[in-house]
Amino acid sequence: MSPLLEIKNITKRFGGLTALSDVSFDVPSGSIVGVMGANGAGKTTLFSLIAGNIAPTEGEIFFNKKSLVGLTPDRICRLGVARTFQIVKPFGGMTVRENLLTSAMFGAHQYQSKTLAADAVDKVLEDVGLTAVSEQISSTLTLSYQKRLEIGRAVATGCRLILLDEVMAGLTPTEVLEMLETIRILREQRELTLLVIEHVMRALMQLCQQIVVLHHGELIAQGSPDEIGNNRLVHQVYLGETL
Amino acid sequence: MKESMQFWLGLAVFGCVVAVLPPTLGNEYLIGVALTVFMWLALTPSWCVLSQLTGYVSLGHVVFYGIGAYLVVITWGQWPLWLAIPAAGLVSAVFALVVGGQVLRVRGPYFVILTFGLAELIKFSIMAIESGMGMAARILFGAPDLLVIYWLMVGLAVISVLLLGWVSTSRFGHGLRSLRENEEAAETLGVPVVRYKLAAFVLSAVIPGMVGAVMALRSTYFVVEQVFDPLVSVTVIAMALLGGGDGVRGPIFGALFLACMSELLWAKAPLLYMILLGGILVVFVLLVPNGLVGLFQRFKVRE
Repeated sequence: MSPLLEIKNITKRFGGLTALSDVSFDVPSGSIVGVMGANGAGKTTLFSLIAGNIAPTEGEIFFNKKSLVGLTPDRICRLGVARTFQIVKPFGGMTVRENLLTSAMFGAHQYQSKTLAADAVDKVLEDVGLTAVSEQISSTLTLSYQKRLEIGRAVATGCRLILLDEVMAGLTPTEVLEMLETIRILREQRELTLLVIEHVMRALMQLCQQIVVLHHGELIAQGSPDEIGNNRLVHQVYLGETL
Repeated sequence: MKESMQFWLGLAVFGCVVAVLPPTLGNEYLIGVALTVFMWLALTPSWCVLSQLTGYVSLGHVVFYGIGAYLVVITWGQWPLWLAIPAAGLVSAVFALVVGGQVLRVRGPYFVILTFGLAELIKFSIMAIESGMGMAARILFGAPDLLVIYWLMVGLAVISVLLLGWVSTSRFGHGLRSLRENEEAAETLGVPVVRYKLAAFVLSAVIPGMVGAVMALRSTYFVVEQVFDPLVSVTVIAMALLGGGDGVRGPIFGALFLACMSELLWAKAPLLYMILLGGILVVFVLLVPNGLVGLFQRFKVRE
């Protein structure tokens, strides 16, 4: 399978701090790739670089063989890349449906009116499990629903690649299971490629075909969940011991 | 859909009656009052195109008004009015386009202060130019009849209301509201925020430019401090606040209410008028934070 997303030698420095250092990996089309690492490892920075919220110091990012470096976030979104935010950023004063309408009208789909976007939005509301709260003002939602709203908005853009930033953090074990099921359904129905940041290890191990591990901004391991589970370096970093 | 049709129909009928009545009665004072009301009806919705929809609250809306007025004054006797008035709108828009890219980089209170400062800067620059040319004030001879000015202003008010009505319900308007709620999220979901903010800024500048041009003809007498009076910016904000809501109704109700109220108070209680007006504003901010539109909605829900 050809890679949909290629990260090539990405470095990001904030002044004297190197948040990411020479990171390279591919995300094959149709796959689910997990990103793990402790707090401050550079995971969210990586997402911000891909989505265009910040620019890399060095390196290249290709989506569908097109360079993303230097493009604004809205252009990257229209090309078919959508991200969620770890700290949820709903359009608080709008209803859930209106939130999704923004994505459907301005993302890759580019529906030119609310009427044209309505069907697509209804479908996403149903798939993400937000139909019951679709007319609710989004700032009044519970965290679990707000995380779903983040996913719903990303999906409603009509993207091919979706970057999920800790969408299960803060959820109860039951909610995590439901969320995993939602993600599986979305992926099957819409042929999505996913890049997932997650601290809930069990979820990551179940969901992903491939995992990359970041530590202090460096990529220290990549492979299948099993390989990562048996990787010496990963154990050293996480548990401070060797196998 | 049906409700909004009713609203527009009602507004059209009401607007026609209010616009036709003063000239029919032929009362010059009444025409003057109606002219002022239509001026605010033109200015307030134009401010809302930027500030209500994007949350970038401009405290310098008068700068466009002043620029429009100044253009008519300096081209007086050289350009015909059918050219000068649209040109006033165009020059205001170009000014907004030039400064907008920089000004719209800051948000919140910084944007408020910056727009206020910018309007003052332009005011004092033009004062310096005028005094450099040895002009303390200018008088326009041969300005058109009051009725011509009146109908021009009615036309501008109609355009302004229609403009806000269109933007407010359009895809463009939805994009503006999204960036008001969260600019970073909006941009990440595909809204071209930089372009949209600038477009809203430019659109909101056209009408006040032309209003300023028409009002210069009304006073026939030009003093820089008067056409760049910060009180115009403040009044526009007060009207939008009084009206409340998130659409075209608020600014219409607010402008009508405050313009009529201040005229009434001024006529009935000239000494107390500013105090009473201030009192009304305080009451609204404290007790009716969602403005007249919010008040109507509350009654509707109760029914």
